[in-house]
Amino acid sequence: MNVPVLSLLLRRFSLRHARLAPRATALLVGILALGVAVFVSIRLANRAAVSSFTHFTDTLTGQSDFIVQAPTGTLPESVLRELRTALGARPVQIIPVVEATAAQAQRPDEAAGFGRTSYTLLGVDLLSLANLASQSKVERGYFNQNQSQNPGQDLGTGGRAAQNGDAGADAFWRAYNAGPQVWVSAAFAPAVPKSLDLVLDERVRTLTVAGVIPTAKEAPRVPPTLLILDLPHLQELTGKVGRVDRVEFLIEPGPRAAERRDELKSILETLGGERWLVTTPGAQRESAETMTRAFRLNLTILSLIALLVGLYLIFQALDGAVVRRRTEIAILRSLGVEERAIQTAWLTEAAVLGLVGGALGVGLGWAGAQVAVRAVGQTVNALYYSSTVDAASLDPGEIALGLVVGLGASLIAGWWPARLAARTPPAQVLPRGVAPAAGGRWQRSFALGAVCVLLGVAFAQLPPLRLDGAGRFPLAGYAAAFFWIFGGGLMCGWLLPLLAHAARALGTVWAPGRVALSHLRRPSGRHRLSVAALHCAVGMAAGMAILVASFELTVRGWIERSLQADLYIASAGAQGASTANFISAAAADRLAAHPAVDAAARLTAARISLDGIPTLLTGTDLALMGARSDMPWIKAPDDPALWETARNARLALVSEAFSERFRKKAGDVLRVPTPAGLQTLTIAGIYADYGNERGSIMIDRAHLMQWLGDDRVTNVSLWLKPGSNADLLREELRKEYPGLAIFTNAKLRGEVLRIFRQTFAITYALEVIAVLVAVVGLALTLTSVLLDRREELTTLRALGFTRRELAGAAALEGGVVAGAAVAGGLTLSVALGWLLIYVINKQSFGWTLGFALPWGQLAALAAAVVGTGVAVSYLVGRWGADLPADREE
Amino acid sequence: MASDSAATPVLNVSAVVKNYGARRVLDDVSFTVGPGERVALTGPSGSGKTTLLNCLGGVDRPDAGSISVRGTPVHTLDSVALARLRRLEIGTIFQFFHLLPTLTAAENIELPLQLINVPAPERAARVASALDRVGLTPRAAALPGQLSGGEQQRVAIARALVHRPGLILADEPTGNLDSANGANILALLRELSDETGTALVLVTHSEDAAAICHRRINLRDGRIVSGG
Repeated sequence: MNVPVLSLLLRRFSLRHARLAPRATALLVGILALGVAVFVSIRLANRAAVSSFTHFTDTLTGQSDFIVQAPTGTLPESVLRELRTALGARPVQIIPVVEATAAQAQRPDEAAGFGRTSYTLLGVDLLSLANLASQSKVERGYFNQNQSQNPGQDLGTGGRAAQNGDAGADAFWRAYNAGPQVWVSAAFAPAVPKSLDLVLDERVRTLTVAGVIPTAKEAPRVPPTLLILDLPHLQELTGKVGRVDRVEFLIEPGPRAAERRDELKSILETLGGERWLVTTPGAQRESAETMTRAFRLNLTILSLIALLVGLYLIFQALDGAVVRRRTEIAILRSLGVEERAIQTAWLTEAAVLGLVGGALGVGLGWAGAQVAVRAVGQTVNALYYSSTVDAASLDPGEIALGLVVGLGASLIAGWWPARLAARTPPAQVLPRGVAPAAGGRWQRSFALGAVCVLLGVAFAQLPPLRLDGAGRFPLAGYAAAFFWIFGGGLMCGWLLPLLAHAARALGTVWAPGRVALSHLRRPSGRHRLSVAALHCAVGMAAGMAILVASFELTVRGWIERSLQADLYIASAGAQGASTANFISAAAADRLAAHPAVDAAARLTAARISLDGIPTLLTGTDLALMGARSDMPWIKAPDDPALWETARNARLALVSEAFSERFRKKAGDVLRVPTPAGLQTLTIAGIYADYGNERGSIMIDRAHLMQWLGDDRVTNVSLWLKPGSNADLLREELRKEYPGLAIFTNAKLRGEVLRIFRQTFAITYALEVIAVLVAVVGLALTLTSVLLDRREELTTLRALGFTRRELAGAAALEGGVVAGAAVAGGLTLSVALGWLLIYVINKQSFGWTLGFALPWGQLAALAAAVVGTGVAVSYLVGRWGADLPADREE
Repeated sequence: MASDSAATPVLNVSAVVKNYGARRVLDDVSFTVGPGERVALTGPSGSGKTTLLNCLGGVDRPDAGSISVRGTPVHTLDSVALARLRRLEIGTIFQFFHLLPTLTAAENIELPLQLINVPAPERAARVASALDRVGLTPRAAALPGQLSGGEQQRVAIARALVHRPGLILADEPTGNLDSANGANILALLRELSDETGTALVLVTHSEDAAAICHRRINLRDGRIVSGG
């Protein structure tokens, strides 16, 4: 490499061009920064959402060594004595924990629905926590710190202070003895409320705020939605008197800690048998990561689309720069600058742009992540587990990755323009009046396109990639999409001469038409690339529209069949998969006994872990469901015993998502762990359920209650007697049960569809951006093309072409490119729609969907793309018509 | 055809001035060209020949003075009227041919006829005749890239004359050709100009090219030093 020449090229040419056109340079850097920013922000938000999965107890006790919990439901408090006896005098702290969720109570003027703040209530024995702290293992266990940030609310003192009998201890004891009180996160400061109105199961409870949860320097940050209560208080509030959700174990530090850990594990496993599961916080965090892996992977792929879009624009801009600077490059070549030096200089220029854009992108991405993290956190909360993340952090690794991504993207984008620049002939032989480059051979290869399409067909037949924890990722499906997009893009280029031929009559009556169509008869590499990019954007946007329309059609059908009761009732605290709120059996009975009610179906859902994989076990009145509800069957049951409680104790229905996830079909046997021991169930049928991707097992509720030892209800469906008014009854029940969310059939259907549409909002936004960028790409392509044809424009003007005619020719050229892209893109969209519905969606979520073509939307998209393509091409043509003439002298 | 600048001139250039920044490239240039007259614009590089030709074709506008083609003032026309004047009255021949690379030879020649809405059958006949006249009938379907330099310039001449303009502006038409091809092209230009009575303004450094003209206007530093 000739370093002095390279240095000269960079200093005297690249840098000067950047200085002469600072706005264009800034725009280029900005585009790249934006692409990197979207990628970085989604990545940081994903990481933050996963890392936010911490045991809330950690904020008080530090990380436990082991956790014991029932396979489903709760453990009786009696296990504590049993555990203490088994552990004897070993230096192990036993910490019983009750955990519950509660939503902020609905204001009188607030509409029923989802989306209210949801709190996690942690019930721990505050006195033993104080003991734990006094043994100096975990300083943050104290509730005796001086809450200097909020002295007015400083009730949170106790622990050692209480034992010492000082003034803080008095305050603690006063608070402790005054009944249910909560300690809140320091995030409330300085405006710590005096009380909080919370929906706990079906009741609204006003809880006095006792103070702020104390924190120590090394402790995890206390999440803003964490509330601490004394264990017996929360047991009483949640109807779990005498029961605990889990027991955590802390081994006191010492020289034999590792040995003690092994010993403790062995004791816990032997003692528990099938009654409980022994895990560690690390294993639970891993499980959370596994659970959300497919979701995070999908988000990352969507963010890569943004990067791809940025890459395409950079490519277009650098390609345009090559055309503009071709004379300069030709002169340099004639002066003896070798091809390699020119190519390296262009690549170096692209690399510098990439590094600057990447650095900016990392900063922007970090800022964007602070917003994105909330959206990702909400989704994780709604679908997976309780995530408390509200900020995303940046580390050197992420900064380096952002820079590498920016650098890599700009080098990829700059490679072809750099090659084009290097191949510019010396000025003496710079060809004049020669058709522009038709692109590489592969770019013109119809056969390569066809092979890619066939490869896509082959990939679409392959099964999903199995991740840990029954996760599935449709890698082959995405590969099929890639091959179809790539192959379709290559094949689309061939539509240009076909369309030009079809429109040849226009060329005989309109001179600008003849000029425009003549360029498309032998399309250049730029034309082919532009049509491929637009085809890709149209294909993806229309494919997504087909998926959403198909999804909506299916979900509507599912709602029609499965939502047939008149009223649906659940605790207002139920805000998503991360919450567990119930209705007491007594309240459910009172609802069912209302004179206007003809029948009531109670459903109880419990989280279970099957082979270490989380799923749901639900119990309902199968006899009533069989008689009243039109279940949307994937595989209908043929054993009539299923509908009789006396005969269905060993039968279960599973959702389609469960069947896909656990690879179980009708007739297969499930071994379900419950507090009453391992239950063997035969799958009698499979039903469609589009509300839960984790899958669920449905059994008769009578048996579930028996196994769980818990008669609480998750939701109640009411069928009313003829002549009863659902709206009036809803109003009546709302007044009577302010803690319940009550939906009429129509309202619930509307809410389900609203949430459904909201789910696709981000995806739609990204697709629209992709189409807009592809249209901008078309404009940039035409700009390069017209710059490349500057001599031709001079000739056409000399022949008497008006500005309008030149613009008209460009508009026709752009219109045909957009038309070819739309024709190819819509064909691609049908293929992608099929792939998304029958392969990617089925493999990701296990849902069978119908297929619907939203003709109106597709026609509107086609018209918008062609219309916009023609309009921007016309404008570019007008600009081209004003390009100054070449001066030969 | 003999020189006849006394008849109604095809081109009338009067006191044209053109500056590029502070530099005056045309200074008080005046002359006329009669029907069928061939005028050579000669002078050393930088004397303003091509700038004058660009002003004559309406590509550049003079800062002062007037230019009219068949009585139509070029320098005052808007872009639409200027385009109309070009498509009806002016034919242009370039040093580097400037054929449209994606159109065949026949299609290149046909283009000016399309611009003035000549019916298709007449267009076909005139294109065939023009191709025949320049000796390129067998190469009608060839793209410019498939033609030699001489062939390309012959197509360019046919294109410049096919719509029967009153004035041809030619910028070094043989500048990019070898001497044999150059001589052929000059002979063709002279013959066609005589046959059609089209006036020709020819910018050239070549004595051979200037020799086919009735008159020679010599420019130096933007001023006419002889033949005006």
